Amino acid sequence: MSGGERIPGTPRYRHHLQKNPGTEPFFPNFLLKEWIVGAVFLLGFMLWVVFNPVTLGDRANPDDTSFIPVPDWYFLFLYQILKYYPGPDIVFGTVLVPFIGTCLLIFVPWLDTSKDRHPYKRPLATLGMVLTTFLVIWLTNEAAVQHRAEVASASGQPSAGLPVLPRKDPSQIQFIDTSDPGYKLFEQTCANCHGAKGQGNIGPAIYAIGKYWDASKLEDFIQHPAGAMPPMGTLSNLTQVKEVASWLAKQKG
Amino acid sequence: MLKKAYDWIDERLNVTPLWRDVADHDVPAHVNPAIKMSAFVYCFGGLTFLVITTQILSGMFLAMYYTPDITNAWFSVQYITGELLLGNVVRGMHFWGASLVIVMMFLHMLRVFFTGAYKAPRELNWVVGVLIFFVVLAFGFTGYLLPWDQKAYWATAVGSQIAGSIPWIGPWIQTLLLGSHTVGALTLARFFAIHVFFLPAALLVLLALHFIMIRSQHIAGPL
Ligand code: HEC
Ligand code: HEM
Repeated sequence: MSGGERIPGTPRYRHHLQKNPGTEPFFPNFLLKEWIVGAVFLLGFMLWVVFNPVTLGDRANPDDTSFIPVPDWYFLFLYQILKYYPGPDIVFGTVLVPFIGTCLLIFVPWLDTSKDRHPYKRPLATLGMVLTTFLVIWLTNEAAVQHRAEVASASGQPSAGLPVLPRKDPSQIQFIDTSDPGYKLFEQTCANCHGAKGQGNIGPAIYAIGKYWDASKLEDFIQHPAGAMPPMGTLSNLTQVKEVASWLAKQKG
Repeated sequence: MLKKAYDWIDERLNVTPLWRDVADHDVPAHVNPAIKMSAFVYCFGGLTFLVITTQILSGMFLAMYYTPDITNAWFSVQYITGELLLGNVVRGMHFWGASLVIVMMFLHMLRVFFTGAYKAPRELNWVVGVLIFFVVLAFGFTGYLLPWDQKAYWATAVGSQIAGSIPWIGPWIQTLLLGSHTVGALTLARFFAIHVFFLPAALLVLLALHFIMIRSQHIAGPL
């Protein structure tokens, strides 16, 4: 079986049907077949690479704390576990759960010591691994979904169902009635999140929200906003809300 | 001519038994997808190795242009991605390959698990496999910082904070990771060194052990 046994003069290639059916030498017979698998695999990989070009984000800026951090996808399941142990319980997520998981994985051969190798003949081990795999996939997906929602709500995308205004350069936006007291209030409060021209910043663009919503709908929304917008949009009383709403309703783009 | 050169070397170094052992050992039918299609699961280990190889090669080419300091790192990656001939392909291979290694390694691990191939006498090879898994994850963690973009910076910042929150030893781990108290010049330099020197060395040693053990224990028999 091992090296040196090949009889001098016998052909290198042995057909598996001739002698000793089923087995064949590692090289060249088996390795050539594996290289065919590898070539197809590489081809698929290169096609993927060419059609999914890599991108590069903005240059690192340690002062910009508004960036929502996220680890690469294969760490997401660990990241997600942390979220289930808030506050002082965090050690469960940072140490205990990963440590136990790691130990279980390393010591698998000593935990599952039966002679049987067929997965059906050791249901406990099989079930454990199947469940773990699904849990890891589920946690990864959950983390990805939550991160996407977080980015959307912080990048000035309104929640589903709300009107969406296209992003526009602030210099292209003309406000109506800038002598209105509602405008003064807008500048002091709403503009912090929606931009000085309502062009959108942390909050979505609202420069022409009057096209979609009238003053009473706006009043209602400002008092009971969606997503990350604070109630009253940081205004202090109902009179102010009414003033801003009536001015904003006139902005129709 | 070639034969002569080979014989000359073989006379002095006796290399034939070395490769003959690898070349002539019999591969059993149950792992051969050409005989039984479902045996393709036995290719996952080899395919993982193939991706590792492309990672090493593409990484070596990236290292020709990448500059591991915080003023230039991002610009060098921008140059590789946007201007360098085929730079986007090489970086693309390294970027997507990093994910593919994880996927293939995971599939390989599942194959080994569900065929019970870790059982005696192959326990040690399973342990080596788990160590390889952690080394590959460390490749991912350190490599993620190198482009020095927002994503990279903040992921590492949060990652190190999480490490820092571990009771007692946390702050030490954090300092060891970052080289200082925040992510900065020292962090990038050490992540680069770890990514291109420490981890490849560890991986190659572990892979050598992995393959030597497979060769000497043979692949596990049919179920
Ligand atoms: C702290 C930041 C913040 C402030 C201050 C704020 N908003 Fe908002 N606003 C948001 C965010 C975030 C959203 C998106 C909420 C969502 O849909 O999930 C939003 C959504 C809106 C919408 C819906 C936009 C759309 O496209 O459907 C309107 C209208 C609006 N805000 C008006 C106002 C007004 C008027 C004020 C001032 C009184 C104000 N906001 C103050 C953050 C803010
Ligand atoms: C870079 C990562 C890895 C590479 C390149 C690799 C490569 C290989 C190869 C080529 C084989 C031969 C059989 C096959 O292809 O299925 C093998 C077998 C094996 N691998 Fe891996 N492997 C890696 C990671 C792992 C991991 C993470 C584990 C487990 C935690 C593992 C455990 C094993 C075991 C126990 C065997 C023997 C299986 C048997 O005898 O049937 N390996 N490995």
